[in-house]
Amino acid sequence: MRALCWNGINDLRVETVADPGIVNPHDVILRVTMSTTCGSDLHFIDGYIPTMREGDVIGHEFMGEVVDVGRDVKKVKKGDRVVVPSFICCGNCWYCQHDLYSLCDNTNPKAELQEPLLGYPTAGIYGYTHAFGGYAGAHAQYVRVPHADTDCFLVPEGLKDEQVIFLSDAVPTGYMGADFCNIHPGDTVAVWGCGGVGLMAMKSAFLLGAGRVIGIDRFPERLRMAREKVGAETIDYSRVDSVLDMLKELTGGRGPDACIDAVGMEAHGTGAEYAYDRAKQALHLHSDRGEALRQAIRACRKGGTLSILGVYGVMDKFPIGVIMNKGLTVRTAQQHGQKYLPLLLEHVAKGQLDPSFLATHRFSLEDAPRGYEMFKKKQDGCVRAVFLPN
Amino acid sequence: MADKPQESSAPRSPRATRAAPPRGPSPEWEGRDIETAGVREDRDVEPRGGRATAAGASPGIVEQFASAVLGGALLSIGLGRRSLGGAALALAGGGLLFRSFGGQGHGPILEEPRFDTDRGPYEPEVVAGPRVLERSITIQKPASELYRAWRLAENLTKVMGHFADVTTAGPDVQHWRVQGPLGRSLEWDSHIVEEHPGEFLRWESLKGADVPNDGWVRFRPAPGDWGTVVTLRFRFDPPGGVIGDAVVKLLGAVPDTLASKALRRFKSLVETGEIPTTVPNPAARGGGHSY
Repeated sequence: MRALCWNGINDLRVETVADPGIVNPHDVILRVTMSTTCGSDLHFIDGYIPTMREGDVIGHEFMGEVVDVGRDVKKVKKGDRVVVPSFICCGNCWYCQHDLYSLCDNTNPKAELQEPLLGYPTAGIYGYTHAFGGYAGAHAQYVRVPHADTDCFLVPEGLKDEQVIFLSDAVPTGYMGADFCNIHPGDTVAVWGCGGVGLMAMKSAFLLGAGRVIGIDRFPERLRMAREKVGAETIDYSRVDSVLDMLKELTGGRGPDACIDAVGMEAHGTGAEYAYDRAKQALHLHSDRGEALRQAIRACRKGGTLSILGVYGVMDKFPIGVIMNKGLTVRTAQQHGQKYLPLLLEHVAKGQLDPSFLATHRFSLEDAPRGYEMFKKKQDGCVRAVFLPN
Repeated sequence: MADKPQESSAPRSPRATRAAPPRGPSPEWEGRDIETAGVREDRDVEPRGGRATAAGASPGIVEQFASAVLGGALLSIGLGRRSLGGAALALAGGGLLFRSFGGQGHGPILEEPRFDTDRGPYEPEVVAGPRVLERSITIQKPASELYRAWRLAENLTKVMGHFADVTTAGPDVQHWRVQGPLGRSLEWDSHIVEEHPGEFLRWESLKGADVPNDGWVRFRPAPGDWGTVVTLRFRFDPPGGVIGDAVVKLLGAVPDTLASKALRRFKSLVETGEIPTTVPNPAARGGGHSY
C-alpha cells in the first residue's frame, strides 16, 4: 500500500510499504477514507520529539471502513464506517475503567522506552514515535486498529467524512480541555491558539455553558473562524501591546476564569522571552518554546483553572511560583477520546456541533507532503489539511 | 517515605540462602504486608545513587530527561543531514538516547549482587555473584485468577516470549531456551519447588542447567479497587570462565528489563487477552515491514 513516511527532519515522503494485517485477536483493519494533519505532528517533523525512526508511517487522526476483523472482536463488523481516537486503549485496565483512556496500561509495546522519561508508560498512539508504541500511522491506505471494540466508534448515517474526521482527535481534545475548566454558567474562558484543537475547545466551552470565550492567535483567517464559526471574541497578539492588559480590560480587571493552552511547544510570540526560547530551541538546548503557556498562567484570574492541551517536552523557565501564589488549578492530559466520543457523535448528529469548517484543504495521499507543508506554514489560510488515501 | 525504617539491620543474605535452601515456606511468601515490599525496594535502590532527594525524585531523572530530549534532537538532526558530520551528530544523539532510555545505570532494577553493596560504588563490569531481578506490577484481577493464569503452560510461553522459549517438559517441569552469547543457546529445565495456590509459586532450575537460576512469583491484594500486586523475582547464578563472563554480559544487557517486561506482558495478557505488539508493522524500511 501507499503511506506517508517520516524520513528525517522535514523529510516526509509517500512510499510503498507492506499492507497491515490482523496481528492480535482484537484487531481490525481499516481502509482509511480520510485522515488529517495535527499540529502535534509538527513537533517530530521539526525534530523536537525523539524516538522517530526513518520509514515510520505517520498520522493519528483518521476514520475509515472496516475491511478485516480479528477473531475476538465482538461488536465491530466488516463494512462498518468508524472513527477512531488517536490513542490506543484496551478498555480493561484500571485507567480505562476510570475514563483515563490515554493512560492505558496495556497498549504500549515499547513501554521500556517511555518509562525512564515519564516514570510510567502511557497508551500507544498511531504514527507518533516509538516511545508511544511505534504503531504504524494512518496517513496510509490501510491501518491496523487494535482493541477495536473499545476504539472504533460507529459513524451515524447521513454524516459526511468532514463532519466526523476531527472527532478522532481535535474535537475530543478540545472538549476535554473545556471540560477540565469546570465551567460555571457565564464564565469567561480564554483560549491560546485558534487551530483545530483551540477552535474546538472554544466551541466546547460554549456547549458547556461559558458566557464569553476569547481566542488568541495572530493569523487573521483563524481569528475570523473563531469569531464567525464559534462566536468567540478574539485578540490578535501581534497587534496589541499586551495580551494581559487586553484580557484584564475585557474581564473587568479580574482575568479569565479559565485559560486553555492549545498551542504547545513551538509557540510564537513577541518580545524578549520569545527570542530567548526561539534561540535555545533552535540550538536544541531545550525542547520547548513556552510563551503561550506562560502568558496563560499570568493572565488567568486568581483561583482560576489552567487547562493545558498543547504538547510539551521538558520546559525550563516554567513559572510554577506564579501558579502557586495565584492558587491556580492545573488540569492537563492527552485526550481521553473514548470517554467523550459517544456524546460528541450525538452532538454532531443533532447539528449542535459541526467541525467540518476546519478542513480547509483536501489532498490525495500522494500530495500529503505538500499538505503538511501548507499546514505547517499556514499557507493560503490552511487550518487543517485532510487526505483522501483511497 | 523519609521516615520509613531502613532495612539495613536485617538484610537477607543470598549466600546464606544458597548454602541452605529454605525448607518449608519461603520467607518471601510469609512476609504478608505489601508495604514491606516497598521498604525493601527503598533499600535496594540505595546503593546505586544514594537516597532520593527530599522531594522524592532522583536528580538523575532530570539528567535522563535532558539526555533524551537532546539526544533525540541530535539524532534527528544527524539523520537529517546525511553526511559524515551528520552521522557523528546522530551517533552522539543516539548515545544520549541510549543513556537516557536505560543504556546504563537507571532505576530500581535490583540486579545488584547484594553482598557486594558495601564494597563501594557499583560497577557492572565486576559483577561476580548472582543477578537478582525483582519487579512488581498491579493487575485488575483477583489473585486466584492470576495464579491460575500463571500456572497455564501456554501463558508462561507467551509471557516469557521476549526472553526465552519456554516449553512443557513434564508435570510441573518447564524447559527454558535462551539465545545466549557466542552463538550458543543457554538451556535449562526448571521445576516447581513450592506452591501456595492463589498466593505464591517458586521454581528452581534442575541439575545440569547452563545458568543455574531460581525465581518466584507472589500475588497480594492491592489497596482499593486496584486488584492484585504481582511480584516476580528471578535470580541467575552464572558459571565462571569465559562462558560465564559472556553470560554475565548477556544478563547485563538483556534482563535489566526482564522482570518488568514479563510482568507487563502477563498483565496485558490477563487483562485484555493479548500482548501488545507492533510485529509486524508497515514501514518504509526492512522491505516494507518493520516493528
